[in-house]
Amino acid sequence: MRILVVEDEPKVASFIRRALEEESYAVDVCTDGTGGLNWAQAVDYDLIILDLMLPGLPGVEVLRRARAAGVKAPVMILTARSEVDQRVKGLDAGADDYLTKPFAIEELLARARALLRRAGGAPTGILQVDDVVLNPVTREVTRDGQRLEFTTKEYALMEYLMRNAGRVLTRSMIAEHVWDLDFDTFTNVIDVYISYLRNKIDKGRERSLIQTIRGSGYMMRSDG
Amino acid sequence: MNNASIRVRLTLWYGSALALILLLFAVALYLVMSRALREQVDASLNEAAAVAIRTLGEHRFGPFLIFEDLSQDFPEIALLDKFFQIFGPAGQVTIQSSNIQSREIPLSQSAFRASLDGESTFESVQFKKGVPLRLLSVPIRQGEQLVNILRVGTSLQPTDRMLRRLLVGLYIASPVALLVSLLGGWFLAGRALRPVHAITQAARRIAAGDWSQRILTPHSNDEIGQLASTFNDMIGRLEVSFKQIRQFSADASHELRTPLTITKGETELALRRPRQSEDYRAVLESNLEEIDRMSRIVDELLFLSRADLGEIKLKMFPVQLDDLVREIQQQALVLGMDRHVQAVLTAVEPVLIHGDDLRLRELLLNLVDNAVKYSYEGQTVELALVVEGSHAKIMVRDHGIGIAPENHARVFDRFYRTDEARAHGAKGTGLGLAICKWIVEVHHGTIELDSTVHRGSCFTVFLPLIPARA
Repeated sequence: MRILVVEDEPKVASFIRRALEEESYAVDVCTDGTGGLNWAQAVDYDLIILDLMLPGLPGVEVLRRARAAGVKAPVMILTARSEVDQRVKGLDAGADDYLTKPFAIEELLARARALLRRAGGAPTGILQVDDVVLNPVTREVTRDGQRLEFTTKEYALMEYLMRNAGRVLTRSMIAEHVWDLDFDTFTNVIDVYISYLRNKIDKGRERSLIQTIRGSGYMMRSDG
Repeated sequence: MNNASIRVRLTLWYGSALALILLLFAVALYLVMSRALREQVDASLNEAAAVAIRTLGEHRFGPFLIFEDLSQDFPEIALLDKFFQIFGPAGQVTIQSSNIQSREIPLSQSAFRASLDGESTFESVQFKKGVPLRLLSVPIRQGEQLVNILRVGTSLQPTDRMLRRLLVGLYIASPVALLVSLLGGWFLAGRALRPVHAITQAARRIAAGDWSQRILTPHSNDEIGQLASTFNDMIGRLEVSFKQIRQFSADASHELRTPLTITKGETELALRRPRQSEDYRAVLESNLEEIDRMSRIVDELLFLSRADLGEIKLKMFPVQLDDLVREIQQQALVLGMDRHVQAVLTAVEPVLIHGDDLRLRELLLNLVDNAVKYSYEGQTVELALVVEGSHAKIMVRDHGIGIAPENHARVFDRFYRTDEARAHGAKGTGLGLAICKWIVEVHHGTIELDSTVHRGSCFTVFLPLIPARA
């Protein structure tokens, strides 16, 4: 899951980024409105967290233009508690949720999960493919009731594959949603991580859930 | 009455005054009318008497006059609306006109006595079952001798009737006039008070929070019009200061909210799971920075609000400004060390001004601190102090990000920070220049800004010199 954070105050942006990264999301930070708008249009983000008080282009305008340009990603706006009209304008301009500053970090994470869940179409948030179950809240993955341990990046890749079960995911799609801007697409890091996942969930089992689609990428499917 | 509306009270006052005037007018009219009528009757009696005396001629008078002879000679006598009586010198009736018929209208004692003295007498009498009468008795004398007394009389009935009719007319017309003018007064008072009603309505809506409300002022410049425009002026000024206060508190809460968001967020994040001690250290250091920022904002806010209330007492003494500028330059060197910004004195002249040393130090330090903060790395900040006319001129020039011309006026506003200044990353509160401006103004000076984006800014302060002793 890749998230864009548009926030001008460097320290705020920094702790939001660290909190999201600890939850194994890939995070990009942008400190001004114009840059935020460009990134939102250039990358297919799964969620955008947008501060409304921005230098350059105001947050509401960023949102309006992004929606006009066809950006579909769910957007959470950050506002001050007193700015009711800003919040209303933001929601009307296409925001899906809002959070007032100062906020509890757990609430930010829970709202982020809720928005991602809604976008993914899974009402409870618990993802299941065959006998593999993933709980995004506790970040627990089990197969056949057996708990599996993942690193942060492995978990992020696993979650992305499960959210898009049954769809062919190209390497560039995976790179875009699981890794952030620093990712070098020319390496075989994705293939390496796929092999790590296979080792953990498919090893020693009859059915392989992660399939390689020759020439295009990978797919997670239960009827292997 | 105290609870009644002005409209009711106006109408009642107006009505009472009018009723009094109407009453006085009616009484006066009645008196004048009745007097005029009486005088008219008396005049006609006089005239009739004169005619009778002239017609009868003096030779005809005597103790024994016969009415039949008279009426034969003057048949018109019987046709007059008046009656005649001619009394003998002893007061006995000699003859009388036939329209008296058998009624007895004797000569009164007073009239008889007046006749003896040769004077005419008017009398009003009313006999039982008779009509009111007006009588004129005229003595007719030959030499000093009273020969006859001629009496002419007429009924007062027509006059009385006319007066009664007048009275009835007044009885009916006065209440009608009163009622009509009360209605008119009620209407006019309502009309005059309509703008007042509008003012009330507008004030009520404003009280409910709608500051855009204004009263439609009538084009007239009368009292109500003036009230309305005064009210509008007041609301306008209130609206401006209300907006300023709201903007100020919004800005203040925004400026305080950012460090709060940071300390809260970083602390919560740190507490989510066990971490290395250097991670905790980093969080604590960052939080301390934010706490310092908050306390600076709070201090400066407090300073400004005390300044607004006039609670800051200045200790005004002669200040050797050149010493102060040199001292500030030394401090600027320290401030600029991290960013390799060099503070230089380009000019300094001995200057003595009258001021508060502490505040002037704060002013210069604020300006120099800004200059260092917004300079590009490795640049110089130039300080100069010269005398220009009757003022000391202090210049603080930097070579840095600069301020766009459209923001020049606003940088002295509280909490105003340009987007560039925010993006620059320096931790300003947005209050420093507002404080500088206040300090300059309490020293009766001025502060000016000359700046070009990406080239740098120059703040110039003019402070009045101590006037040289003559």
